[in-house]
Amino acid sequence: MSTQAIESLSEDTVRRIAEERDEPEWLLETRLNALSALETAELPDVIQTPGRRWTDLEALDFESLVDPLNQSDTTERSVGDDEVVVLPFTEAFDEYGDVIEANFGSVLDPEHNYLTALSVALFTTGTFVYVPEGVDVEDVTVRAEMNSRSLFSQTLVVAEESSSVTILESIEPGDGEVDGDRYFSNLVEIAAGENASVQFGSLQNLDDETYTYSLKRADVGVYGTVDWIESNFGSKLTRSDVESELNGDGAESQIVGTFFGTEDQHFDINARVWHQAEHTTADLVTRGVLDDVARSVYEGVQDVGNDAWNTSSYQRENTLMLSDDAEADASPKLIINNHDTEASHSATVGQVDAEDLFYLESRSIDSHTARNMLVEGFFVPVLEEIAVDEFRDDVEELVFERLQ
Amino acid sequence: MATLEINDLHARVAEEDGERILRGVDLTVESGDIHALMGPNGSGKSTLAKVIAGHPAYEVTGGEVLLHLDEEDVADIDAEIDDEDYHWELLELEPNERAALGIFLGFQYPAEIEGVTMTNFLRQALNAKADEREELFEEEEEAEADADDEDDGYDTSPMEGPADDGEIGVAEFQEILSEKMELLDMDEKFMQRYLNAGFSGGEKKQNEVLQAAMLEPAVAVLDEIDSGLDIDRLQDVSKGINALRDEQGTGVLQITHYQRILDYVEPDHVHVMLDGEVVKSGGAELAEKLEDKGYDWVREDAFEAA
Repeated sequence: MSTQAIESLSEDTVRRIAEERDEPEWLLETRLNALSALETAELPDVIQTPGRRWTDLEALDFESLVDPLNQSDTTERSVGDDEVVVLPFTEAFDEYGDVIEANFGSVLDPEHNYLTALSVALFTTGTFVYVPEGVDVEDVTVRAEMNSRSLFSQTLVVAEESSSVTILESIEPGDGEVDGDRYFSNLVEIAAGENASVQFGSLQNLDDETYTYSLKRADVGVYGTVDWIESNFGSKLTRSDVESELNGDGAESQIVGTFFGTEDQHFDINARVWHQAEHTTADLVTRGVLDDVARSVYEGVQDVGNDAWNTSSYQRENTLMLSDDAEADASPKLIINNHDTEASHSATVGQVDAEDLFYLESRSIDSHTARNMLVEGFFVPVLEEIAVDEFRDDVEELVFERLQ
Repeated sequence: MATLEINDLHARVAEEDGERILRGVDLTVESGDIHALMGPNGSGKSTLAKVIAGHPAYEVTGGEVLLHLDEEDVADIDAEIDDEDYHWELLELEPNERAALGIFLGFQYPAEIEGVTMTNFLRQALNAKADEREELFEEEEEAEADADDEDDGYDTSPMEGPADDGEIGVAEFQEILSEKMELLDMDEKFMQRYLNAGFSGGEKKQNEVLQAAMLEPAVAVLDEIDSGLDIDRLQDVSKGINALRDEQGTGVLQITHYQRILDYVEPDHVHVMLDGEVVKSGGAELAEKLEDKGYDWVREDAFEAA
């Protein structure tokens, strides 16, 4: 089904954005193509169970949410090492125009769906990260604040052969005085070359009037590794998709996810991996907690292609409910077209274990503290997968804040 | 000198038409004494242990569980102690309050808790016990005043360990812990592992005794602490239980099926439970007789008497 046209959107709008940013002609073309794709593009698929469509993206009122010409953000980019390029696109075109043109949209098709097309047509912020061959950098951080009604962000990471990089991005509300609902869109694409290694951590903690759409996708080359950490704490509604295409022999990807919903927050969390070559490995681990009347829906897909000989693929998802009124649905999917595969997938939705709680209480610990210890303990297995101390600390702190 | 006094205790499974399990238990355990509680499966021994500790799966339908304390037991309390502070009806208290007053339950099947390290758990427990004791013994007006300006109480992450050192400093904690672990012949590597997660049956039981040693209870109820232990571990655990009594003056109520542990932990008193009641009590010789003759004769005696 098609989505409503947004009246404030026109070619002029897109041209103005491109002009103000002094963008090359090819990017303007890409934006205009995305804009015209809106006419036919569909919203992303959402999980449906009998009688219920879990995430109602159609209900989003884009007409009032999208304010393309007043986008504003405050973004700090810091680089551990000057061998790596970490720049807003506008500052990168002169020197790295060719690299950007060759890779932009190559991993994540701008016209993938309605929301990606909208995002590519209108983005005004984001980051280009370029890690040349053999360069090894650990502390790239991109900390962004959203100041406007809507914000569209686009990130491209190009990691050349045998390079290695760790990137942490975060998005939080800024000082911008905007009343009412807001919309944040975040597209990230990673092109990881042969034997390249990328760890990309993302922390979303926007306020409870914001609707967030995020799609992150990696193309992982021969012996390449892309590890994602996707942490969602904020927003009224979050739709998050993290995807890895294992296109080179020996490619690996881990997708670690955490979320913690309170009040009436809604999380639609998706992790997907496509095994397209031989000897590839994937590990999908997501843990989330829901309190009050928060809801979550999870979909995990491990797709093993015809040529994916000797595949290893694992998926686990656990949701812990702290309230009887919270709701969760989880659907782990395993599609195997090559039977030379070792795979597992599981998902659980459960409550705090009464025996565990009593055990702690019988050692003098009051029930509230005991419950909080169990919740923090529940997150530990995913926190342990986070190799970057700074990021793990941030996530722990956010878990801790919500447990007060 | 503390006394746990159980009078005519009745309890059932806390659900509609829940089974009646305890049918009038009378039992008194004084600190410094070791009691063995024996009886066939289904006689209500484990239920008694859980009801004393306040397990929510059981509903008490009658009787009382009293804890009497004396000056020695409240020597750590700064607040003024009234007469009523020496006598507690445990059934009116939350499980953690009972624990803070000095009741310890050693579980037959200890919970495995992922993500919470032994070190953090033990420090959290020790600090919680000290805090809870302050609250239990302070006057009501003080409690209200405290509640007003109290933070949420949980201001440190158990993953990181308390940021403020609370009542027990790191160095002191480590020292006590090392000593107790040595006594129980436990490896210090235990402390970085998650609470009981992946522990063998024997390691879990050692860990229960270690926790009792750290928390220094007035009365420890140990539910089948000897089941599933090999002889070496049985000896370690026994050494730990004897030390609870000898060094801390803990009263021990030891629930067991087997005479075996009683060779290492000699009981001052032995009780037999049948059909939810304590039907016979005696000295150490009673356990030996049970080992030889089983429970039938006890049942006959009890039946005749009734």
